[in-house]
Amino acid sequence: MGCCWSLLCKDDNSSQNGEPNERTHLLVDPISNNIHIQRVSSENLLSRNSNDAPKKTDEQSALTRILQETATNVIDVAAIDSHNLQQQEYIERVKMYNIKINQVLAGNKGALANSLKSCLLEDVPQPEKILSGDLLNREDRHLMTSSLLAAVSAINDIRVDHKEDLVVPFGLGLNS
Amino acid sequence: MVEEIKKNLYEIASKIEGLYGITFTDRDGVPLLKVTSESAPEPAIKPNFISTFCLAIDQGSKLGLGKTNTLICTYSQYQIVQMNKHPLVVTFVANQQCNLGQILALEAQIDPIASSLALTVTEI
Repeated sequence: MGCCWSLLCKDDNSSQNGEPNERTHLLVDPISNNIHIQRVSSENLLSRNSNDAPKKTDEQSALTRILQETATNVIDVAAIDSHNLQQQEYIERVKMYNIKINQVLAGNKGALANSLKSCLLEDVPQPEKILSGDLLNREDRHLMTSSLLAAVSAINDIRVDHKEDLVVPFGLGLNS
Repeated sequence: MVEEIKKNLYEIASKIEGLYGITFTDRDGVPLLKVTSESAPEPAIKPNFISTFCLAIDQGSKLGLGKTNTLICTYSQYQIVQMNKHPLVVTFVANQQCNLGQILALEAQIDPIASSLALTVTEI
Protein backbone atom coordinates (compact mmCIF):
# COMPACT_ATOMS: atom_id res chain seq x y z
CA MET A 1 0.00 0.00 0.00
CA GLY A 2 2.78 2.39 1.04
CA CYS A 3 4.52 1.56 -2.13
CA CYS A 4 1.54 2.58 -4.19
CA TRP A 5 1.21 5.93 -2.46
CA SER A 6 4.87 6.72 -2.87
CA LEU A 7 4.60 5.96 -6.54
CA LEU A 8 1.61 8.25 -6.92
CA CYS A 9 3.34 11.00 -5.01
CA LYS A 10 6.37 10.64 -7.13
CA ASP A 11 4.42 11.24 -10.30
CA ASP A 12 2.65 14.27 -8.86
CA ASN A 13 5.73 15.90 -7.49
CA SER A 14 7.81 15.34 -10.52
CA SER A 15 5.22 17.12 -12.62
CA GLN A 16 4.81 20.06 -10.22
CA ASN A 17 7.88 20.72 -8.03
CA GLY A 18 10.67 18.77 -9.54
CA GLU A 19 12.22 15.66 -8.10
CA PRO A 20 10.93 14.27 -4.77
CA ASN A 21 13.20 12.80 -2.15
CA GLU A 22 12.68 10.20 0.52
CA ARG A 23 11.46 12.87 2.98
CA THR A 24 8.46 13.85 0.90
CA HIS A 25 5.27 13.51 2.96
CA LEU A 26 3.08 10.73 1.76
CA LEU A 27 -0.27 12.22 2.86
CA VAL A 28 0.22 15.82 1.81
CA ASP A 29 -0.61 15.36 -1.80
CA PRO A 30 -3.90 13.46 -1.51
CA ILE A 31 -5.28 16.12 0.85
CA SER A 32 -4.23 19.02 -1.31
CA ASN A 33 -5.68 17.20 -4.30
CA ASN A 34 -9.04 16.93 -2.55
CA ILE A 35 -9.12 20.62 -1.78
CA HIS A 36 -8.16 21.41 -5.32
CA ILE A 37 -11.07 19.39 -6.68
CA GLN A 38 -13.54 21.13 -4.39
CA ARG A 39 -12.21 24.52 -5.41
CA VAL A 40 -12.81 23.72 -9.02
CA SER A 41 -16.40 22.66 -8.34
CA SER A 42 -17.23 25.92 -6.55
CA GLU A 43 -15.18 28.20 -8.70
CA ASN A 44 -17.95 30.71 -9.16
CA LEU A 45 -18.53 31.12 -5.46
CA LEU A 46 -14.86 31.66 -4.81
CA SER A 47 -14.49 34.27 -7.48
CA ARG A 48 -17.36 36.26 -6.01
CA ASN A 49 -16.33 36.00 -2.35
CA SER A 50 -12.59 35.99 -2.68
CA ASN A 51 -12.14 37.35 0.87
CA ASP A 52 -14.05 34.49 2.54
CA ALA A 53 -12.25 31.48 3.73
CA PRO A 54 -12.40 29.04 0.81
CA LYS A 55 -12.81 26.03 3.04
CA LYS A 56 -15.95 27.37 4.66
CA THR A 57 -17.74 28.10 1.37
CA ASP A 58 -16.72 24.70 0.11
CA GLU A 59 -18.29 23.05 3.11
CA GLN A 60 -21.45 25.11 2.84
CA SER A 61 -21.93 24.49 -0.85
CA ALA A 62 -21.32 20.80 -0.32
CA LEU A 63 -23.85 20.81 2.49
CA THR A 64 -26.51 22.60 0.47
CA ARG A 65 -25.89 20.22 -2.39
CA ILE A 66 -26.37 17.23 -0.14
CA LEU A 67 -29.54 18.77 1.32
CA GLN A 68 -30.96 19.40 -2.15
CA GLU A 69 -30.18 15.90 -3.29
CA THR A 70 -31.79 14.45 -0.19
CA ALA A 71 -34.87 16.60 -0.68
CA THR A 72 -35.29 15.43 -4.26
CA ASN A 73 -34.83 11.77 -3.39
CA VAL A 74 -36.70 11.41 -0.12
CA ILE A 75 -40.47 11.45 0.26
CA ASP A 76 -41.12 13.58 3.31
CA VAL A 77 -44.86 13.73 3.77
CA ALA A 78 -44.73 16.13 6.72
CA ALA A 79 -42.72 18.68 4.74
CA ILE A 80 -45.15 18.78 1.80
CA ASP A 81 -46.67 22.20 1.86
CA SER A 82 -49.86 22.52 -0.12
CA HIS A 83 -49.85 25.77 -2.00
CA ASN A 84 -53.27 27.33 -1.72
CA LEU A 85 -54.23 29.80 -4.38
CA GLN A 86 -55.56 33.14 -3.31
CA GLN A 87 -59.13 33.82 -4.35
CA GLN A 88 -58.09 36.84 -6.40
CA GLU A 89 -55.37 34.93 -8.23
CA TYR A 90 -57.78 32.08 -8.92
CA ILE A 91 -60.37 34.38 -10.50
CA GLU A 92 -57.73 36.12 -12.59
CA ARG A 93 -56.38 32.87 -13.88
CA VAL A 94 -59.84 31.55 -14.77
CA LYS A 95 -60.49 34.71 -16.78
CA MET A 96 -57.11 34.47 -18.49
CA TYR A 97 -57.69 30.81 -19.40
CA ASN A 98 -61.13 31.59 -20.83
CA ILE A 99 -59.66 34.17 -23.16
CA LYS A 100 -56.70 32.00 -24.12
CA ILE A 101 -58.79 28.88 -24.75
CA ASN A 102 -60.87 30.65 -27.37
CA GLN A 103 -57.75 31.89 -29.14
CA VAL A 104 -55.94 28.55 -29.06
CA LEU A 105 -58.97 26.50 -30.08
CA ALA A 106 -59.75 28.82 -32.97
CA GLY A 107 -56.26 28.12 -34.28
CA ASN A 108 -56.58 24.35 -33.91
CA LYS A 109 -60.16 24.07 -35.09
CA GLY A 110 -59.45 21.78 -38.03
CA ALA A 111 -57.30 19.36 -36.09
CA LEU A 112 -59.77 19.07 -33.26
CA ALA A 113 -62.95 18.77 -35.30
CA ASN A 114 -62.09 15.26 -36.50
CA SER A 115 -61.40 13.96 -33.04
CA LEU A 116 -64.72 15.14 -31.65
CA LYS A 117 -66.74 12.39 -33.28
CA SER A 118 -68.34 10.48 -30.47
CA CYS A 119 -70.30 8.00 -32.63
CA LEU A 120 -69.12 5.61 -35.29
CA LEU A 121 -72.45 5.75 -37.09
CA GLU A 122 -73.44 9.06 -38.57
CA ASP A 123 -76.88 10.52 -38.55
CA VAL A 124 -78.77 10.55 -41.86
CA PRO A 125 -80.74 13.80 -42.01
CA GLN A 126 -83.38 12.79 -44.58
CA PRO A 127 -83.75 9.01 -44.72
CA GLU A 128 -86.80 9.10 -47.02
CA LYS A 129 -84.63 10.35 -49.91
CA ILE A 130 -82.36 7.34 -49.72
CA LEU A 131 -85.22 4.95 -49.07
CA SER A 132 -87.28 6.24 -52.03
CA GLY A 133 -84.39 5.90 -54.50
CA ASP A 134 -84.61 3.84 -57.69
CA LEU A 135 -84.67 0.08 -57.40
CA LEU A 136 -81.93 -2.09 -58.85
CA ASN A 137 -82.12 -3.13 -62.50
CA ARG A 138 -83.23 -6.68 -63.20
CA GLU A 139 -80.04 -7.29 -65.22
CA ASP A 140 -77.79 -6.07 -62.41
CA ARG A 141 -79.63 -8.24 -59.97
CA HIS A 142 -79.35 -11.24 -62.22
CA LEU A 143 -75.60 -10.63 -62.65
CA MET A 144 -75.12 -10.39 -58.89
CA THR A 145 -77.06 -13.57 -58.12
CA SER A 146 -75.49 -15.60 -60.91
CA SER A 147 -71.91 -14.55 -60.07
CA LEU A 148 -72.61 -15.21 -56.41
CA LEU A 149 -73.96 -18.67 -57.15
CA ALA A 150 -70.94 -19.40 -59.35
CA ALA A 151 -68.62 -18.31 -56.57
CA VAL A 152 -70.45 -20.48 -54.04
CA SER A 153 -70.31 -23.55 -56.29
CA ALA A 154 -66.60 -22.88 -56.96
CA ILE A 155 -65.87 -22.71 -53.25
CA ASN A 156 -67.78 -25.95 -52.69
CA ASP A 157 -65.74 -27.65 -55.40
CA ILE A 158 -62.40 -26.97 -53.73
CA ARG A 159 -60.87 -30.36 -52.93
CA VAL A 160 -57.49 -31.64 -51.94
CA ASP A 161 -56.02 -33.71 -54.78
CA HIS A 162 -54.27 -36.47 -52.88
CA LYS A 163 -51.19 -37.73 -54.78
CA GLU A 164 -48.37 -38.36 -52.30
CA ASP A 165 -48.14 -39.74 -48.81
CA LEU A 166 -49.20 -37.25 -46.20
CA VAL A 167 -46.64 -38.55 -43.66
CA VAL A 168 -43.06 -38.66 -44.88
CA PRO A 169 -40.42 -40.25 -42.61
CA PHE A 170 -37.40 -37.91 -42.53
CA GLY A 171 -33.94 -39.41 -42.74
CA LEU A 172 -35.15 -42.99 -42.89
CA GLY A 173 -36.32 -42.67 -46.49
CA LEU A 174 -32.95 -41.27 -47.61
CA ASN A 175 -30.89 -44.10 -46.03
CA SER A 176 -32.90 -46.85 -47.53
CA MET B 1 -65.45 25.80 -30.43
CA VAL B 2 -65.51 25.58 -26.65
CA GLU B 3 -69.21 24.85 -26.80
CA GLU B 4 -68.63 22.06 -29.32
CA ILE B 5 -66.06 20.45 -27.06
CA LYS B 6 -68.37 20.78 -24.07
CA LYS B 7 -71.21 19.20 -26.04
CA ASN B 8 -68.91 16.37 -27.05
CA LEU B 9 -67.87 15.81 -23.45
CA TYR B 10 -71.51 15.82 -22.36
CA GLU B 11 -72.25 13.12 -24.91
CA ILE B 12 -69.28 11.08 -23.72
CA ALA B 13 -70.26 11.50 -20.08
CA SER B 14 -73.91 10.65 -20.70
CA LYS B 15 -72.96 7.28 -22.23
CA ILE B 16 -71.36 6.10 -19.01
CA GLU B 17 -73.77 5.37 -16.24
CA GLY B 18 -72.79 7.02 -12.99
CA LEU B 19 -70.22 9.44 -14.42
CA TYR B 20 -70.99 12.87 -12.97
CA GLY B 21 -68.36 15.05 -14.55
CA ILE B 22 -65.12 15.61 -16.41
CA THR B 23 -62.87 18.57 -15.59
CA PHE B 24 -59.71 19.82 -17.23
CA THR B 25 -57.61 21.87 -14.82
CA ASP B 26 -54.07 23.12 -14.51
CA ARG B 27 -51.74 21.81 -11.81
CA ASP B 28 -53.12 24.25 -9.24
CA GLY B 29 -56.67 23.08 -9.85
CA VAL B 30 -57.79 26.13 -11.83
CA PRO B 31 -60.44 24.88 -14.28
CA LEU B 32 -60.00 25.31 -18.03
CA LEU B 33 -63.02 23.30 -19.05
CA LYS B 34 -65.62 21.78 -16.82
CA VAL B 35 -68.53 19.50 -17.66
CA THR B 36 -70.39 18.42 -14.56
CA SER B 37 -73.88 17.31 -13.70
CA GLU B 38 -75.75 18.54 -10.66
CA SER B 39 -75.04 15.32 -8.81
CA ALA B 40 -71.28 15.90 -8.84
CA PRO B 41 -69.93 16.42 -5.31
CA GLU B 42 -68.62 19.96 -4.82
CA PRO B 43 -65.42 19.06 -2.89
CA ALA B 44 -64.18 16.80 -5.70
CA ILE B 45 -63.95 19.63 -8.21
CA LYS B 46 -62.39 22.20 -5.87
CA PRO B 47 -58.83 23.37 -6.60
CA ASN B 48 -57.53 22.18 -3.22
CA PHE B 49 -58.56 18.61 -3.92
CA ILE B 50 -57.24 18.53 -7.48
CA SER B 51 -53.89 20.16 -6.66
CA THR B 52 -53.27 17.45 -4.06
CA PHE B 53 -53.06 15.01 -6.97
CA CYS B 54 -50.12 16.95 -8.38
CA LEU B 55 -48.34 16.88 -5.03
CA ALA B 56 -48.95 13.15 -4.78
CA ILE B 57 -47.65 12.36 -8.26
CA ASP B 58 -44.55 14.52 -7.74
CA GLN B 59 -43.69 12.53 -4.64
CA GLY B 60 -44.76 9.27 -6.25
CA SER B 61 -42.22 9.71 -9.02
CA LYS B 62 -39.49 9.24 -6.39
CA LEU B 63 -40.59 5.65 -5.79
CA GLY B 64 -38.69 4.55 -8.85
CA LEU B 65 -41.73 3.18 -10.67
CA GLY B 66 -41.78 5.79 -13.39
CA LYS B 67 -44.16 8.60 -14.15
CA THR B 68 -47.65 8.49 -12.65
CA ASN B 69 -50.29 8.32 -15.35
CA THR B 70 -53.54 7.73 -13.53
CA LEU B 71 -54.65 7.90 -9.93
CA ILE B 72 -57.86 6.15 -8.88
CA CYS B 73 -59.44 6.90 -5.54
CA THR B 74 -62.44 4.89 -4.45
CA TYR B 75 -64.50 6.36 -1.63
CA SER B 76 -67.57 4.97 0.05
CA GLN B 77 -69.88 7.09 -2.13
CA TYR B 78 -67.77 8.27 -5.06
CA GLN B 79 -64.92 7.27 -7.33
CA ILE B 80 -62.39 9.79 -8.59
CA VAL B 81 -60.09 9.09 -11.53
CA GLN B 82 -57.36 11.63 -12.21
CA MET B 83 -55.16 11.50 -15.28
CA ASN B 84 -51.83 13.23 -15.60
CA LYS B 85 -51.79 15.11 -18.89
CA HIS B 86 -48.91 17.41 -18.15
CA PRO B 87 -49.37 20.39 -17.73
CA LEU B 88 -53.04 19.53 -17.23
CA VAL B 89 -54.94 17.24 -14.91
CA VAL B 90 -58.12 15.52 -16.10
CA THR B 91 -60.49 14.57 -13.28
CA PHE B 92 -63.43 12.21 -13.62
CA VAL B 93 -66.02 12.12 -10.86
CA ALA B 94 -68.30 9.12 -10.69
CA ASN B 95 -70.51 7.34 -8.23
CA GLN B 96 -69.66 4.10 -6.48
CA GLN B 97 -71.44 1.89 -9.02
CA CYS B 98 -69.75 3.35 -12.09
CA ASN B 99 -67.64 1.06 -14.23
CA LEU B 100 -64.08 2.34 -13.90
CA GLY B 101 -62.92 0.45 -16.98
CA GLN B 102 -65.23 2.56 -19.11
CA ILE B 103 -63.74 5.75 -17.64
CA LEU B 104 -60.19 4.57 -18.26
CA ALA B 105 -61.11 3.70 -21.84
CA LEU B 106 -62.12 7.33 -22.39
CA GLU B 107 -58.47 8.35 -22.31
CA ALA B 108 -58.06 7.98 -26.08
CA GLN B 109 -61.07 10.25 -26.68
CA ILE B 110 -59.89 12.78 -24.11
CA ASP B 111 -56.30 12.99 -25.36
CA PRO B 112 -56.82 15.28 -28.39
CA ILE B 113 -58.86 17.70 -26.29
CA ALA B 114 -56.24 17.68 -23.54
CA SER B 115 -53.38 18.28 -25.94
CA SER B 116 -55.06 21.31 -27.49
CA LEU B 117 -56.00 22.72 -24.10
CA ALA B 118 -52.43 22.18 -22.91
CA LEU B 119 -51.33 24.84 -25.38
CA THR B 120 -53.35 27.36 -23.39
CA VAL B 121 -51.40 26.70 -20.23
CA THR B 122 -47.99 26.52 -21.86
CA GLU B 123 -48.49 29.77 -23.76
CA ILE B 124 -49.11 31.75 -20.58
